[in-house]
Amino acid sequence: MTTTEELLTDIEANGHGAFVETFDEQAGRMVINMGPVHPSTHGVLRLMLVIDGETVDECLPVIGYLHTGIEKECEDNNWRGAVTAVTRMDYLANFYNEQVYSMAVEELLDIEIPPRARYIRTLLAEMNRLSSHLVWWGTQGLDMGAMSAMFYGFRERELFLDFFEMVTGLRMNHGFIIPGGVWEDLPLGWERAVKNITDQMPRRIDEYENLLTNNPIFLERTRGIGVLSADDARSLGATGPIARATGIDWDLRRDMPYEAYGDVSFEVPIATEGDVYARYRVRVAEMRQSVKIVEQLAKNMPKGDFRHQDPKLVHPSRREMAHSMEAVIHHFKLSTQGYTVPPGATYAAVESPRGELGAFVVSDGGTSPYRCHVRDPSFVNLQSLSRMVEGGLLADLVASIASTDPIMGGVDR
Amino acid sequence: MTVTTIPASEWADRARALHAEGWQVMDLTGLDRLRLTPDGPRFGVVVQLINHASRQRQMIEVAVDGDEPTVPSVTEVWPTVNFMERETYDMYGISFEGHPNLTRILMPDEWEGHPLRKDYGVGKVPVEFIPQPIMQVDSPGQTPGSGSTGIDRDRLGQVVGEGDAP
Repeated sequence: MTTTEELLTDIEANGHGAFVETFDEQAGRMVINMGPVHPSTHGVLRLMLVIDGETVDECLPVIGYLHTGIEKECEDNNWRGAVTAVTRMDYLANFYNEQVYSMAVEELLDIEIPPRARYIRTLLAEMNRLSSHLVWWGTQGLDMGAMSAMFYGFRERELFLDFFEMVTGLRMNHGFIIPGGVWEDLPLGWERAVKNITDQMPRRIDEYENLLTNNPIFLERTRGIGVLSADDARSLGATGPIARATGIDWDLRRDMPYEAYGDVSFEVPIATEGDVYARYRVRVAEMRQSVKIVEQLAKNMPKGDFRHQDPKLVHPSRREMAHSMEAVIHHFKLSTQGYTVPPGATYAAVESPRGELGAFVVSDGGTSPYRCHVRDPSFVNLQSLSRMVEGGLLADLVASIASTDPIMGGVDR
Repeated sequence: MTVTTIPASEWADRARALHAEGWQVMDLTGLDRLRLTPDGPRFGVVVQLINHASRQRQMIEVAVDGDEPTVPSVTEVWPTVNFMERETYDMYGISFEGHPNLTRILMPDEWEGHPLRKDYGVGKVPVEFIPQPIMQVDSPGQTPGSGSTGIDRDRLGQVVGEGDAP
């Protein structure tokens, strides 16, 4: 029988691969695994827990179960093709992955994209934030025992997925935002579809709040649970709603505006308690702000090109190809080789539903990325989970996981 | 975006100075310069920093060379780099001196090689098929499938106390 201390030393020396479970009778401590297959770990997150009775002494996240080598895959794709690889990282916020990668490539290409493209991207991204937060809201409720939250959250998410399908043809993994703009213009009737959503959402969010915000059981299980201080959030690099729930007043959309965020007005919700309930309130308030942003963008959508007009960079339209030999040649060259990007290295960042999503892209002047690294907020935020749960009860761990909102596709890439 | 390149020996002091000025690490990753600059140092540890007060960003590349590239760890300065340094070690084989728990993070513990290195090909790892008989008739009294599937259990993860199981 190994003691807990021996076991932990062994884990540190040999890695976390082994599924060890042990009980140290003298110290009364037990090592157990939660996950990787567990209904409330939101995917394949595995936590090695050292528990003393019901209290969590130590929590070690073990990740990598969904590692698919997307960064390596980008290096074998051309610049346009890598979009289809990066979009699969954070699978609840696909547009953000495409957007941040495209922004980095555009910076290397040193091009400005047309205003309509900027607006379409921002509109889709902001709607994506709503659909992602709806999944979080549903699962947070479900993990706290409110089964119906899941039904409502997923019911409204369907509205967004239908809209994405209407615009891009796919419900997820769109590959729609490309370096230079977007792949196609918005389809006929998009205004009505957006209006349908923005008219419904404020009422729906009221419904959600009626269900959970003042629910005594929910309050009991979230208030003062999983507390993270602002200093810890800063030193552990937490971003997004987790940081804003500790009182860190920072949002890239407002503080370092990109794309069309400079043209819209919105507030950045802040809370100071740093517990699960604070994160809940920040996210719900963010949803209301996102509806406002979507309304403004739809109202002020500029006319004009929806992507950059350099024929060496973006595919010609089908109509053009029917008349012009040049266009056919460009189409052939782009499809077989792709375009080249001047050598250099850059980093672009956007505010995704989970925090700062960054893309570090290096070009050697060739037709495919030399290096494409994505800084995923879920990966970094997962480090603060241990700080939240250590010293708390095992049953409260579930509340903290749900409020961290980790997406394992983004964590493992 | 401008990149400041510094040698690995200066990184620890530089990190402390940057931290004192209010810079926070947003991202830390590796870069294999094998085909980019074949003459210079082979690896780089690329760090993205942000300063909330002045709303600025900067990129620092710590150049490192050698068969066993080693860079001082900055987990003491910015605890957030813990996972990032582990990922860089996993993907590039760059060791971070002073890291509290430098093990693989995304790849399995017993994995050989570092996948994001440029000399690590995409198609060079054979797919592991587990040999399985198409049809197996169990003799009476034998537990179905026990000890005959040839699954290398060590590679799938060890179960402590397996031998004691009834």
